[in-house]
Amino acid sequence: MGRPGLNRRHFLAAAGGLTVAGSFGFAALGTGADALASGADTRVRYWNLFSGGDGYNMIAMLDSFRKDNPGIDVKDSTLQWGSPFYTKLAMAAAGNRAPDLGVMHLGRVTGFSPGRLLDPWDPALLAKYGVREQDFNPELWKRAVIDGKLYALPLDIHVQLCFYRKDVLKKAGLLGEDGRIVPVGSTEEWFDVLKEARKATAKGLQTIGLWHNDQNFQWWFFVAFYTQLGGTWFNDAKTEVTFDTDKAVQVLEFLRKHVADGYANPSFGGGAGAEQFVNGSPFAWEGNWSVPVFDAAKLDYGATPLPPVFGRRATHAESHSFVLPHQAERGGAANEGAHRLAAYVVKHARQWAAGGHIPAYTPTLSTAAYRELQPQNEYVSAMDHQATEPKVWFAGSTGILAQRVGPVVVSSTTGSARPEAAARRMKGTLTELLAMKNPMDGRTAAQGGATA
Amino acid sequence: MTATSAETIVRPARARTAADSAGVRRGQGFQHGGWFVAPFLALFALFVIWPLLRGLYLSFTDANISGDSANFIGRDNYSEALKDPLMWDALGHSAYFTLLVVPCITVLALLLAMLAHHIERGKWLWRLCFFLPFLLPSTVAANLWQWLFNPGTGMVNHVFGLETPWLTDKSYAMLAVVITTLWWTVGFSFLLYLAALQGIPAHLYEAAKLDGANAWHRILHITLPMLRNITGLVIALQILASLQVFDQAVVMQDFGPGPEDSTRTFVQYTLEQGFTSYRVGYASAISIIFFVLIAAVALARMWLLRNREEGGR
Repeated sequence: MGRPGLNRRHFLAAAGGLTVAGSFGFAALGTGADALASGADTRVRYWNLFSGGDGYNMIAMLDSFRKDNPGIDVKDSTLQWGSPFYTKLAMAAAGNRAPDLGVMHLGRVTGFSPGRLLDPWDPALLAKYGVREQDFNPELWKRAVIDGKLYALPLDIHVQLCFYRKDVLKKAGLLGEDGRIVPVGSTEEWFDVLKEARKATAKGLQTIGLWHNDQNFQWWFFVAFYTQLGGTWFNDAKTEVTFDTDKAVQVLEFLRKHVADGYANPSFGGGAGAEQFVNGSPFAWEGNWSVPVFDAAKLDYGATPLPPVFGRRATHAESHSFVLPHQAERGGAANEGAHRLAAYVVKHARQWAAGGHIPAYTPTLSTAAYRELQPQNEYVSAMDHQATEPKVWFAGSTGILAQRVGPVVVSSTTGSARPEAAARRMKGTLTELLAMKNPMDGRTAAQGGATA
Repeated sequence: MTATSAETIVRPARARTAADSAGVRRGQGFQHGGWFVAPFLALFALFVIWPLLRGLYLSFTDANISGDSANFIGRDNYSEALKDPLMWDALGHSAYFTLLVVPCITVLALLLAMLAHHIERGKWLWRLCFFLPFLLPSTVAANLWQWLFNPGTGMVNHVFGLETPWLTDKSYAMLAVVITTLWWTVGFSFLLYLAALQGIPAHLYEAAKLDGANAWHRILHITLPMLRNITGLVIALQILASLQVFDQAVVMQDFGPGPEDSTRTFVQYTLEQGFTSYRVGYASAISIIFFVLIAAVALARMWLLRNREEGGR
């Protein structure tokens, strides 16, 4: 066969044709024609921020939703988590190109301008698909309600945990008869545990990995222990900072001691904590999302909420929740599909729980199947003693508050600032932020109306 | 050839003036030239001038990221910026980075270029080795060095028998970014120097040799003076590029500001204000401040160079 007689003119004509055909194709995507092409009546566009193990679990849940609901075509997009995700979501909502359904950290909802960038959920529609307020932990639900309207549907809580190696702790005599770590009720007891564990730790390994130089983790740990001490942030009217620097110093000194006494190796960054744990380090303070990692490594391990060293149980908790990004003409089949999809995922969160997260939907939480999951059943109680950031516009996962005070906590933990100075700086920052106007609506926290 | 040296840049301007006075029909020439530069001018206006003006306008407002109508707030953003310790810190980090990178890269590029110029065997291999890293995207280079600097498993500590917390201690974090940048970008200045070295006439060296000048004298009295213009260019380009450091610092610290904010650069701070804190008006104001600072540096450099040239004449 000879070569086709493709000259320049033919080529240009063909390229032009392709471009036109392509643009029709894109136009069709925009109008939902692809949904119709797949045989579905409705298309739900869904943005999430789940990668890694969470990503696989979410995709598996979406697939089973698609199987059960052939009439709804779910078009899911996974975006980079953290600030880039929130920026894209905000701009899409502001530009009226928002997806039908999105995911956010519950702590960020207050600052995400409910009413302008977020649309409220329709409780009647949610109830139609089997999701009601009484099926959720009241604390969690309260955080999702702003000005009397529900702006977030919680999927889980994820908490900071104390992971421990049973093999090492057994050698150190720190395992109880139930095969779990001995109870700890004070800072002295905790450091005694570390001391004993260190003796049983192989050479070259640190005793505990606690992300001592990570601004997010250090801030989360601070929130947990400060809450254990009963510390508060602001008064109810959000007009006054009630941050207690004495309590803060206690927490900062406690965190610092891990590094100063050599239990955490100052040369190691965050990721090394998990690596060392896999290699035989007795402790790692990590998010519950590390459960699949340690499961995959086939470790003999357990996981409890952060130890109640200040007497009261509290561990840092954030929550992934579903939101409805603002659409000028929200409603119709896509909106109903979004309610249906969110309700489905929330109700079928057993799969999600395997990834370490604690399901927000209490009927799932109380199933025998969930109660059998290990080590999940060891830390499920964290749902009842969540330590969270204050409910203000600048708080929430990777939010302004974390960005500003996280490095201050790190500077104290790693030893480059004294705890007293760090506590004062934290209070100063809180005062500044409280007076600052939310750029999205020009109102301060006191004027913000962000109370439940 | 030193095609990019200041000397040759100046030359065409002189030539054109001469041609004008020789009677070239000026109007027609401009018309034709105008059409050639029109696409560039249009894009320049669209993507540089317009955003600049828009940014200037926004810097006097409280605009947020949603693009809703913003209120005019006068110079509030500017007064806030001048009192903002985080902005000054970020500026300090960018300046510190520039101060470390510019001299190192200039000297290193010159040494490497002289090495590659004089070496006889495997010349192409040396050139390739020195230039190749520059072709990598910044994310690849930064990720690579993030592994190399890893305290537990990284090659740097292993090879030198160190236990340095490169990425996790504020005293080393910026140094790690500097080392990465040197490795990654030295190839560009190396190439400029290599081209300039090849442009130095061989007869100068021969004559010097006949007069009894040793290798050191030849470098000191022929090579370095002949490279003066290109050194000026390398330094200027490096200062302007280094002040705008962003991607490698951000990637090496997993998109955070580094240990105790020690690698947060000015560009990163601007991005955080605009896209994390949603304060587009404020971010615009600090970018304008940064623009003015960089423009001042560029102008100062031009002024110094002109004075030096005039003085030398």
